[in-house]
Amino acid sequence: MRWALRSAYGLLAVVVGGTLAFAIFQPVKVLPRISLAPSLWLTNQDQRSLTSETLRGQIVLYNFTYTRCGERCAAQTSVLRALQQQLADLNTGSVPVRLVTISFDADHDTPAVLRGFAAGVGADPGQWEFATGDAAALKRAVGGGFQVYYAQAPDGGFEFDPALVLVDGWGIIRAEYRTAAPALDRLLRDIRLVAEEASNSAGVGRYAYEAAHLFLCYAR
Amino acid sequence: MIHVHPVERAWIVMGAVMLAVFAAAVFTSSLMGGIALPVPEAQVDPRLVATPGATSFGEPGLRELAPGQYEARILAQTWAFTPKEIRIKAGSKVTFYFASKDVQHGVHVDATNINLMILPGQVSKLTATFDEPGTYNFICHEYCGVGHQTMFGQVIVEP
Repeated sequence: MRWALRSAYGLLAVVVGGTLAFAIFQPVKVLPRISLAPSLWLTNQDQRSLTSETLRGQIVLYNFTYTRCGERCAAQTSVLRALQQQLADLNTGSVPVRLVTISFDADHDTPAVLRGFAAGVGADPGQWEFATGDAAALKRAVGGGFQVYYAQAPDGGFEFDPALVLVDGWGIIRAEYRTAAPALDRLLRDIRLVAEEASNSAGVGRYAYEAAHLFLCYAR
Repeated sequence: MIHVHPVERAWIVMGAVMLAVFAAAVFTSSLMGGIALPVPEAQVDPRLVATPGATSFGEPGLRELAPGQYEARILAQTWAFTPKEIRIKAGSKVTFYFASKDVQHGVHVDATNINLMILPGQVSKLTATFDEPGTYNFICHEYCGVGHQTMFGQVIVEP
């Protein structure tokens, strides 16, 4: 009877101690699940349809711009170009990483214009796509879904808040960077974390990752 | 083994059971009830927050993200909210961002789940949907100085 009680206390201590240790030392780090990404129905630079469904199972970094933006958007484009080069050396296991630049200037940025722009910034078509779509649907997805404010100015340009959004293979927003020039190493680290979670969270590993979400083991 | 009087033991057990029940209730309700604790959304320099162009609070106000969906950036300072009034149509979903220019403030929007601290240096964010037309007052509910009682604003929901 006494040994049963002792082992019950011992087991309780192990469970409580283990839980505390997990929450304090955070052996597994994750990015938070912010919200569901909106559904997209876009046309890319090769006139092929690019939807949120075709992007399932891939880690996607979205950014939002328009090709006539010029100098104001140069910093973000150069960060993405550098990121594209770094991604070539990053092993993300079975989960491909894709960059998607969405243009909200649907009238001007036709697939041909986007193709020219993509070539101009040195985008690898297999990794970095440029897309646009119906203006009203774009407003719902980019404005309402990704919460990126933009509005057309009288001169035909756009007033907008620069932003990048990282979406995982399950279609969940995992990070938002509301800046014109995000830090390259931060983007790389976040992509690596999401890729690691996708490839390691099978079987028992899944519980470790769920626990990391539960105890807010967020990478800072 | 330490000797514990049976009555005392009963009380200890009752106390422990009560603690366990409360812990379980907090734990399950936080997971099942969809409780959204307001966590700091971002950091912002309080010395620059009101400077136009420096932060998104330089020109506070209401902006339309998509039809029926808005974001409101509201700057708190002693003893006023800027803007003091926002107007929307019934059924609109508004994401509120609050930041403070000086001391600690708070905000509660009537008849919604918006109840936040506004700390200098941090951005607080919560979303609410206004289905019923009417006037929703919001007040500062963290004492912020002699004019604290005059610090309020209104969300006017038009039919």
